[in-house]
Amino acid sequence: MIIVRLEPEDKIDTYPKLNTVQQLLNKYDLFYTDALVIRDGELLTQDRKLNDGDEITLRKVISVG
Amino acid sequence: MKCKVCKAEAVVGLPSHNTAFCAVCYDKFFMKQVSEGIRKKKLLEADDRVLVALSGGKDSLGLMYALAELGYDVTGLHIDLGISDSSRKARAVVEDFCKDRGYALKVVELEKEGVPMPLIKKHINRPICSVCGKFKRHYFNKVALEDGYTALATGHNLDDEVARLFANTLRWDQAYLSDQGPVLPAENGFAKKVKPLYRVSEFESANFSFLKGIPYHHLPCPYSKGASFTGHKMIWRNQEIRSPGSKRAFYGGFLERGQPAFAAIHEKKKDYEVKPCTKCNCPTSVGVCGVCRVREQLADSLMASNE
Repeated sequence: MIIVRLEPEDKIDTYPKLNTVQQLLNKYDLFYTDALVIRDGELLTQDRKLNDGDEITLRKVISVG
Repeated sequence: MKCKVCKAEAVVGLPSHNTAFCAVCYDKFFMKQVSEGIRKKKLLEADDRVLVALSGGKDSLGLMYALAELGYDVTGLHIDLGISDSSRKARAVVEDFCKDRGYALKVVELEKEGVPMPLIKKHINRPICSVCGKFKRHYFNKVALEDGYTALATGHNLDDEVARLFANTLRWDQAYLSDQGPVLPAENGFAKKVKPLYRVSEFESANFSFLKGIPYHHLPCPYSKGASFTGHKMIWRNQEIRSPGSKRAFYGGFLERGQPAFAAIHEKKKDYEVKPCTKCNCPTSVGVCGVCRVREQLADSLMASNE
């Protein structure tokens, strides 16, 4: 199970299996420059592998005011 | 993905530059983008006293940090808009950041000034983002001039500048196109204004602030929903995905070839003079400045509603 915290929505989603950051971004129709992908305080590029038990923060970057 | 410089594991991939960086090399890349931007467009002198507008977001806090690291004399200025929960959180982020890093900070409270944004929104029938921007610019300039700062720096990034240029172009707004750019010189009662992040994208700025451990405020303003500015950013986001580097080319080309042409046309047509506002002495071309006119409208509306 992979837990994803979406920011700024402050919403939690869970996925039984995701192989890579790119697969995660695809779930939200995001390009890899749309959001920071953070695991354990570290930034992940789109080719990085995800593991069962990962807790990921997906922080969108477009500011609106 | 490996860092293009040192071959360590990359933490940031940048399609617009066709490269990727580890945290150490990304810091060098980002700081060079800022320092080269300042040098190339002559934004700041080494002895400038710089007032940095701090909203609490990634761009303004990252800018404050970068300018301090580059050795500039910086002081933060936060405008507390008085929007209950949102403004409290933003202000706390700014105050904590400045305290932790040892930066000087000034705060203007619009509640104390009699013009909190919720009151304006309730009584003034104009787009709130436009009025809010007007008040923020007014106080940025006022504090900069009254307290002796020689430059006012804002955290506008490449995406902000491209969206603004796009909006100005859609209207073919000669006046705005004639002076859009990363520096506006001090003149006619206006402080020098600079945008040292004009070469870095929103994504690049977010990465920098994260990697520097800057705990920025990332909640959107509750009043900004549906702003046209956001729609323009999305158009350019899609263009950048199709053609990486489009934003840099569009804005860079404008600064090099477009802005000088519009400035020349506008100079010939200019039929107004900037003078001090007859009420508050701040510069304006229309007798009573926009901020004082909003204040008058607000007073009339409050009187009519007996608030």
